[in-house]
Amino acid sequence: MKKQPLLEVRDLKTRFSTETGLVTAVDGVCFQIYSGETVGLVGESGCGKSVTSLSILRLFGKHSGTRLEGKILFEERDLLTVPLDEIQTIRGNKISMIFQDPMTSLNPVYTVGDQIAESIVLHQKLDRKQALAKAVTMLELVGIPSPESRIHDYPHQLSGGMRQRVMIAMGLACQPKLLIADEPTTALDVTIQAQILELMQKLQCELNMGIILITHDLGVVAEVCDRVLVMYLGQIVEECPVEVLFDNPLHPYTCGLIRSIPSMATNRREELHVIAGMVPSLYHVPAGCHFAPRCPYADAQCGNPPELVTIDAEHKVRCWHPGARASGERRLA
Amino acid sequence: MVKYIFKRICYLLPVLAVVAIVDFVIIHLTPGDPAAVMLGSDATDADLAKLREQLGLNLPIYVQFGRWLWGVLHGNLGWSIFMDMPVSTAIWQHLGPTVSLTILAEVIAIAVAIPLGVAAAANRGTWLDQLFMTLALLGISIPSFWIGLNFILLFAVKLGWFPAAGYQPLSSGLVNHLKYLIMPAVSLGIMQGALIARMTRSSLLEVLNENYIRTAEAKGLKYWVIIFKHALRNAFIPILTVIGLTFAVLIGGAVVTETVFNIPGIGKLVVTAVLRRDYAVIQGAILMTATAYVLINLVIDLLYALIDPRVRLSK
Repeated sequence: MKKQPLLEVRDLKTRFSTETGLVTAVDGVCFQIYSGETVGLVGESGCGKSVTSLSILRLFGKHSGTRLEGKILFEERDLLTVPLDEIQTIRGNKISMIFQDPMTSLNPVYTVGDQIAESIVLHQKLDRKQALAKAVTMLELVGIPSPESRIHDYPHQLSGGMRQRVMIAMGLACQPKLLIADEPTTALDVTIQAQILELMQKLQCELNMGIILITHDLGVVAEVCDRVLVMYLGQIVEECPVEVLFDNPLHPYTCGLIRSIPSMATNRREELHVIAGMVPSLYHVPAGCHFAPRCPYADAQCGNPPELVTIDAEHKVRCWHPGARASGERRLA
Repeated sequence: MVKYIFKRICYLLPVLAVVAIVDFVIIHLTPGDPAAVMLGSDATDADLAKLREQLGLNLPIYVQFGRWLWGVLHGNLGWSIFMDMPVSTAIWQHLGPTVSLTILAEVIAIAVAIPLGVAAAANRGTWLDQLFMTLALLGISIPSFWIGLNFILLFAVKLGWFPAAGYQPLSSGLVNHLKYLIMPAVSLGIMQGALIARMTRSSLLEVLNENYIRTAEAKGLKYWVIIFKHALRNAFIPILTVIGLTFAVLIGGAVVTETVFNIPGIGKLVVTAVLRRDYAVIQGAILMTATAYVLINLVIDLLYALIDPRVRLSK
């Protein structure tokens, strides 16, 4: 029997109306997340990874003029069409989110205990005292020393790593089935980064959560992800298990990303690989393959939009010439 | 917190010292002989000499300052020649109406402005927002005396709901007291309220863009909980600043409004004192107003600390 996905995103399109017109930030994204797995969503800044994750919980504020199309199926409901009060019972409860900037994502005028307890009171209908007791447990779980006194601290009294732990504690307070972590470690230094990732993995095992990890750091992806979705200009260009991503990347963009990682093995004098050109603005998305203008293997065929095609069971790619580098053909100067 | 309060109070002392010195010097900055200025051109030499002695103008300046300061610290602000009573008594008599008017105007302003500003921010860009902000702009632009005169015309002369002018103290009964005060308070409150509403809107809009608002939304909180619990408290410091400033301005006497409605407040006292060159009263009123200003600021500072825990720690 086929395993039922925890969350299924079908042909998601997210558009913003701006002064200069409608901008498509996410353009037909499809993917599934299963319980207990970690899926990495990678890509450069502005490729639509954060917008994709915000779309899942419709976190765009009341008057942002955002238009969402497609389907996001969670527990047999379409999150894009359920009424607002219903999605409010899912947010922070069954699906939680951790944001990238722990320094500004906590409210400065309430204690961290209050902020963690808030969602427990809201979703689990405990009274404040019980919720605070649970907040202490959560802080202990994320490895904050002397949590009984820390719950009375304000965010400015904590370091960045501590605050991110608080964010995680807040996100996990109601034992969500899905955790969306938007660059949870980007603002932290490397040692803290490793601790936080380890912590997330440990908690994932205990709670059997699905995790969507949004990052631009392929090192983090290699460390913790089971599967990877590579995004470019609002589209998924490659989807595969993490080992395949590093061993046999097929999309020229993915290859470029992997080659741009500095490694100890490369000669220091050798310049790092860069992907030629710039990410085009969302106002000027290329008509065919979005990556074609920067792609060394682009030809006339790339003027037509490629589909996301299945190469084998777990590997999909959106390219007319998948694996072009491997076969070494048509290398343009 | 105790340390913070103590520190704030210590900061007051130099400010009050400067206020005292400037206030004292005013009388000596008038060109010529203060006694002659006070008594006018047809005063006799004997009168002048008597007044000089009475005011201590023949003593060295530091002795004068010392005597004046000693008096002030004991509640003795001097003697009003024209009113023939101690200045402190004169101020005390006029303070009641002004304080009543100020509090009522401010309460009306806050009660209307904050819900209006919040509603405008929460519905940013909609017709509601535009309507409220146009009203606020009108409120700021229209002088309060003009509103006052129209109120008198409509509610007192045409409809006869309220007395056209005058003042009844609180001791004459709350209803009676408010009947006289409501029109001047509303006409003053409109302007203050318009300022507060605009500040509420802009401050709240800024806060609504903060990341922690998105965090609150991601927790599944209702929109109004986010606005009132998470956003408004963070937005409140600039709002409180405006409230403090408008309050302090009103305490100094709403000169024009008090004149229009014939309310015997500090504003009227000062105007009369200036016209008669009653220096002792002017000096006393300035000292009172400046001290009230400083004290209101202290209260606002303490409220900041109550609202925002980061203020308590800042050096």
